[in-house]
Amino acid sequence: MNSTQSPGAAVHIEDLDKYYGSFHALRKINLCVQRGEKVVVCGPSGSGKSTMIRCINRLEQHDGGRITVLGTELNDDVGNIDGIRREVGMVFQHFNLFPHMSVLENCMIAPMMVRKRPRAEAEATARGYLEKVRIPEQAMKFPGQLSGGQQQRVAIARALCMQPQLMLFDEPTSALDPEMIAEVLDVMVTLASEGMTMICVTHEMGFARRVADRVVFMDGGEIVEEAPPAEFFTSCRSERTRQFLSQVLGH
Amino acid sequence: MEMVIVAPPTPGRLEDLRRRFFATPLQTLLSLISLAIMVFVVWKLLNWAIFSAVFTTSGGPEACQAAAGACWSVIAARWRIILFGLYPFEEQWRSALACIAVVVMTVLSCIPAFWTGRRIALVWGTGAGLYYVLMKGGVLGLPHVGEEAWGGLALTLFIFVTTCLIGFPLAICLALLRRSDLPWISRTTGLIIDGVRSLPLISILFTFAVVLPFALPQWMVGDKLYRVIFGSALFFSAYQAEIVRGGMQGVPKGQEEAAMALGMSYWQRIGRILLPQAMRNALPATINQFVISFKETSLVVIVGFFEILASGNAAYGTGEWRFAYVEVYAFIAMIYFVFVFSLSRYGAFLERRMSVGER
Repeated sequence: MNSTQSPGAAVHIEDLDKYYGSFHALRKINLCVQRGEKVVVCGPSGSGKSTMIRCINRLEQHDGGRITVLGTELNDDVGNIDGIRREVGMVFQHFNLFPHMSVLENCMIAPMMVRKRPRAEAEATARGYLEKVRIPEQAMKFPGQLSGGQQQRVAIARALCMQPQLMLFDEPTSALDPEMIAEVLDVMVTLASEGMTMICVTHEMGFARRVADRVVFMDGGEIVEEAPPAEFFTSCRSERTRQFLSQVLGH
Repeated sequence: MEMVIVAPPTPGRLEDLRRRFFATPLQTLLSLISLAIMVFVVWKLLNWAIFSAVFTTSGGPEACQAAAGACWSVIAARWRIILFGLYPFEEQWRSALACIAVVVMTVLSCIPAFWTGRRIALVWGTGAGLYYVLMKGGVLGLPHVGEEAWGGLALTLFIFVTTCLIGFPLAICLALLRRSDLPWISRTTGLIIDGVRSLPLISILFTFAVVLPFALPQWMVGDKLYRVIFGSALFFSAYQAEIVRGGMQGVPKGQEEAAMALGMSYWQRIGRILLPQAMRNALPATINQFVISFKETSLVVIVGFFEILASGNAAYGTGEWRFAYVEVYAFIAMIYFVFVFSLSRYGAFLERRMSVGER
């Protein structure tokens, strides 16, 4: 699709370069995600897909190119970084819930400390989102007492409590037992249907087919191909994409 | 046919005892010999400490020396020196109250209900203020007593508590600086920590007490007691910093990333996410460090302070009670035991409480 700058773009990445020492992890990445758009990023492991979305909220620092998120350019300005992180939610492969806090506190801490919401309001919001991810009854438990799927849904609720404009998912179902993947994907599908802007790194091709506006395939630190799912799964142009798809879809 | 399931019989108490200790003739013999030795030792000890002991001061040291058992009258006669050192006799009630103030403050700050910034500050502020006013005097009609006259248990507690109060935050600062992204900061901090750790505590105390006054401008010197406390806090913090750092390394990297992704600032991440988890990891080693520090307070005697052990020496060292040193040391050991044992029990309580989230 297009990769040109537009005022409504949620994320605009131009010529992004990233090195780990001498290893060239991302090579001249260009990607533009519009508000309300759902983009699925896939590719073999080590292809740089996680690194790319981690650059969007500065968990990784980029070495070249420009990243503009929600109209603010990501640079060394700490104010910009904090401002972007407030508006960008992230869900991790290993959940990363805070184990020393209850589920409810996990969801309340950032709104209270970062957005300075009063406790009662933060609690009401948190309970609302826990309801939405279908685990309101677990609010007083600790993360260690929940199953993987439940933990990941709490992590989604925690990110949503900040009322972000953009959600990043970094392989949200890769660490889950197979029977728990569906409950997490269901929540993500609901979220997508409500118009949330989403960038998902995932191997769940069924999910990509169902909700993605665009699928981006990465390999060797480059974007090899990007296309709407219908086109991507039926008539991909590159050999590498075809090979990857046959491996993922082959069984 | 009816199936009857028979559980293996669980051995009774006596049967269990027989199997463990009297299974073979040789085992029986060894068990009996050990039992005899234990009975003998316990009987000797009890006989010395209680049955043949002298408890009253009425007979004076002479009655004591005549008796076969312990001479607890030395404690009855000299407990004030042990607990209060050289503190003026008529003012010793102040020292006792100050001790109580420190103990109450410590106990209060150990109760989870007081773990909010304002409450803990209130508890420590009041406790430290009360201690200082009571010990030093000079206001409210209390006669002035200089730091050089402080001693005994009151001094031991004061040195221990202030060492921890100064040393603990300092340790956290050092641990945070050591994990700084800027190499010159982390290297320098590492150098300081390793430098302090490779010096003996005695040499540090001596330097702060005796050498520092020559090196510092007059207004910075302060009383010897506070310099010594600062030296001991520095020593404490070097060790504790490494303990805290170890605890931090046990916190997965994803924790800080999650907090970052939520937009939390550096201090929010440190204060609410990293440190609480790091301290949980570091708790057993931390309690250990506290226990060691409590016992190391006795080293201040080399720069001329009469903490509880030195005061104990003074209690039997002069004149008529010279023979009763074992009893004095037993008494002091009991005091150390009470404090250190409660400290480690408190540590166990904290560990139980903090593991709530695991499972």
